[in-house]
Amino acid sequence: MLRARERAVGLALLLPGLFFSSLIGSFMAYAGVRGAEAHDPEMVMPLLSLIATGVGVSWMLSPLLAGVALSESHDVSRLLHFPLPLLTLVAASLVGNLLQPMVLAALPVLASLSLALSRSPAAIPFALAGSLSSLLFLLAAAQVSGLVLHGLTRRRRFQDLAVFLVIGLGFLMSMAPIVFLSGGARFLGRAMRGLVASDLVALSPFAWGVRAAVHAGRGEALAFVGWAAAQAAAIAAAAAVSAALIERIHRGELDLGGGSGEGTGRAVMRLPGRIGALLEKDLRVAWRDPATKATLFLSCATPLFWLFVFTRARGGLSTSGLLMLAMLVGASAFGNAFGLEGRGITLLFSFPVERWRVLVAKNLSGFALRLPGLATLLAMGALLAPSALLPAAATVALCTFLVAAGADNYASILFPMVAARPGHNPYGGSAAGGRGLGAAALGALFFAATLVVASPFVFLAWLPMLLGRPFLWLFSLPLALAGAAAVYAMLVAGAARVLERREPDLLQRVLGEV
Amino acid sequence: MDHISFRVARGRFFGFLGPNGAGKSTTIKMLTGLLRPTEGEATIEGHPLEQELLAVKRVIGILPEELPLYERLTGEEYLHFAGRMYGLSPQETRRRTDELLAFLSLEEERGKLIVDYSQGMRKKTALAAALIHSPRVLFLDEPLNGIDPVSGRVVTDLLRRLAQKGVTMFFTSHVLDVAERLCDEVAIIDRGRLVAQGTLEQIRAQREVGQDATLEDVFLKLVAADVRREDLSWIG
Repeated sequence: MLRARERAVGLALLLPGLFFSSLIGSFMAYAGVRGAEAHDPEMVMPLLSLIATGVGVSWMLSPLLAGVALSESHDVSRLLHFPLPLLTLVAASLVGNLLQPMVLAALPVLASLSLALSRSPAAIPFALAGSLSSLLFLLAAAQVSGLVLHGLTRRRRFQDLAVFLVIGLGFLMSMAPIVFLSGGARFLGRAMRGLVASDLVALSPFAWGVRAAVHAGRGEALAFVGWAAAQAAAIAAAAAVSAALIERIHRGELDLGGGSGEGTGRAVMRLPGRIGALLEKDLRVAWRDPATKATLFLSCATPLFWLFVFTRARGGLSTSGLLMLAMLVGASAFGNAFGLEGRGITLLFSFPVERWRVLVAKNLSGFALRLPGLATLLAMGALLAPSALLPAAATVALCTFLVAAGADNYASILFPMVAARPGHNPYGGSAAGGRGLGAAALGALFFAATLVVASPFVFLAWLPMLLGRPFLWLFSLPLALAGAAAVYAMLVAGAARVLERREPDLLQRVLGEV
Repeated sequence: MDHISFRVARGRFFGFLGPNGAGKSTTIKMLTGLLRPTEGEATIEGHPLEQELLAVKRVIGILPEELPLYERLTGEEYLHFAGRMYGLSPQETRRRTDELLAFLSLEEERGKLIVDYSQGMRKKTALAAALIHSPRVLFLDEPLNGIDPVSGRVVTDLLRRLAQKGVTMFFTSHVLDVAERLCDEVAIIDRGRLVAQGTLEQIRAQREVGQDATLEDVFLKLVAADVRREDLSWIG
C-alpha cells in the first residue's frame, strides 16, 4: 500500500518535470537548429551529430553516472524458470523500453527538431523518421550496455572496479563547475569547436539517424537513404548483440563466475595490540571496498575545493584562509565512527575488547582515511602560503580533528545510522537518509561545540604568528596538541561509558530492529 | 520472550528448539549481550551478563544465524583478527588459524576474500572464529545450515568432543534428528514461552508420549502443530 502511494507521489512529481523538460527541449531544439541554419548551415550536421553522440553515450552510461537507467535493461534471468520462448523474452525486453517515460518525453523534442530541419512540409516525415531511427539505436545500444553491466555485476572484481570508476567519474563531473569557473570553459569550448569542425562524430552510430534527418530536411534523397540505411544496420546489429547477450543469460553463460579464484597470499596482520588489529582491519576493508577507496582518493578534493574558493575570493591564500582551511579539514572527522562497520557492528561488539579501545581504533582509522586530505592540504598550503605556517596549520588541523573525533563518538553512539540488510537497497526503507532531522540539528550543535572547544588550542597554535614571534611555536604547538589530546582522552572515556550502557540499543538501531 | 527461565549445566549439549519466530535467535542475542531484555537476568559461567558483559564475552563463542563477517577480509585474515581481538598472541593466533583452516577444509580458500565465499564456507569461517579462543560456552544458531554433509559430520563430531571436554553447547536447529542425535538436553519454546525442558526421556514422560516417540513427534505435539492437509485439488 505504502509502495503504491510512494509510486503515485513519485509519478506525480515526475510527470510535470518531464512535461516541462520536454517542452523546453522542444523549444531549444527548434530555436537552436533554426539559429544554426541561419548562422552557418554547414555547422548544423556536425553539431547535431555531436549532441546525439553526447546524449547517446550519457544515456548508455546513465546507470553508472546517475545510478538510474534512463531506459531499462530488463533482468530476464528472473524469468528463466518460466517456460517462455527466448524470442518472447528478447522482444519483451526491447519493446518494453519504448514506453519508458524518458523515451516518451524525447518524442516531442524529435518532432520539433524534424520540423526545424525541414525546408518543405513534404520533408517532415522523412526528417522525423531519421531522428526516430537515432532514438531507436540509442535504446538498442542502452539495452546492450545494460546487459553487459548486468553481466559484470556477476563478477565481484569487475563490479568493484565499475563502482570505483563511476564514483571517480561522478566526482569529476561534480568538479565541472570549478573547472568552468577557473577558465576551463574556454578550453572545453575550443575542444568542442575542434570536434565540430573536423566532423569526427560522423563515425558515431548515434549520429547517423540525425544526419539522415538533416539530409531529408534539405531534400537530399540519396544521402538520406544512405545514412538511414547505415542507422538501420546499426540498430539491427545492436539488437542482434542484445539478443545474443539475452540468449547467453538464458543459457546461464553470462554468469561470469561466482567470484575470483585469486587469493591475496598469506595473511600478515602487522600492527600490534588490539587497537592495532582493529585499525589494520579497517584499513584493509576500506582499501578493498571500492566505494570507500574512492572516498579515500576523493578526500584530497575537499582541501583542493576550499583552496580554490579561498584563492579565488581573496586573490591568494591568506594566513586566515589557511587557518580556516586547517580547521575545516580537522573538523571533517565529524561523520560516523561506526560507518565502516555496517551490520558487522554486531561482530565488533561480540569481541571482549574494552570499548575505549574500540573508539580509539575507530578514530584512528578515521584519521588514517583522512590523511590523504591532510597531506593535500599541506602540499597545497606549501605552494600557496608561507611555508613557516605549515607546522602551525598541521597542528590546528590535528587539534580540531582530535576534538571533532572525540565529539563524533557521542553522536555515533547516540544517533547511529541504520545499516541495510545484505541484498537490500542501502538507500531505501529504514536505511534511507541517515539519523533523522533531530539528529541533524544536534549534529550541527555538536559541530559548533567542537569548533568552540577546539578554539583555545587553535588560538594557542596561531598565537606566535599574531605576536610576530615565530620561536614561540616551539612551545605553543606541543602545548596545543597536548591540550587537545587531553580533551580527546576525556571525551573518549565518557563516550566509552555511554557505549557500555547503550551497546545493545546501539546494535538494535544499527540493525534497524527498533 | 515471555518469562522464560532455564539452567544449563556445564558441559551439556543443550538444544534450544522451536518453530520459526518462536524466539530462539532472540534468546541467543540476549544471552550474548547483543540485545537488552526488558527485564530479567542471565548468568554465564558465573558472570552476571548485565554487570560483566566483557567477562561473559571472553568465555563465550558465538555462531550467529546471520553472518555479519567482514567480507573484504580473507578467511585467514579474519581468523587472525578474531584471535587478536580475543587477546591471543600473534604466534598463537597463527598456529590456531592454521589448524582451524585445515580442520574445516578451508586451507585452499584461506587467501580468498570472504565476499567470494559460499554460504557453507562463511559458516565454517564464522565457526572457526567462534572456536579460536577456546570458549567455555558456545552459542550456535543453526550451525549446520548450508554446510556440506562431510563438513557437517566433521563439525558435529568436533562439537561432541568439545562437550565431552566440558564446553557447554547452546544449540538451535530446525533439523530435529540432528538435535536428537547431539543434544543431552533440550528446551522447546513456542511463541516466546518455554513449553518443555529436560532430556528427551524426561519430556516423553512429562508429556505422556510413547517411549518410541522421536524428538520430532514430541516437538509437533508440544507446539500443537497441525500438519494434516488436504491434497492440492489439481494433483492427481
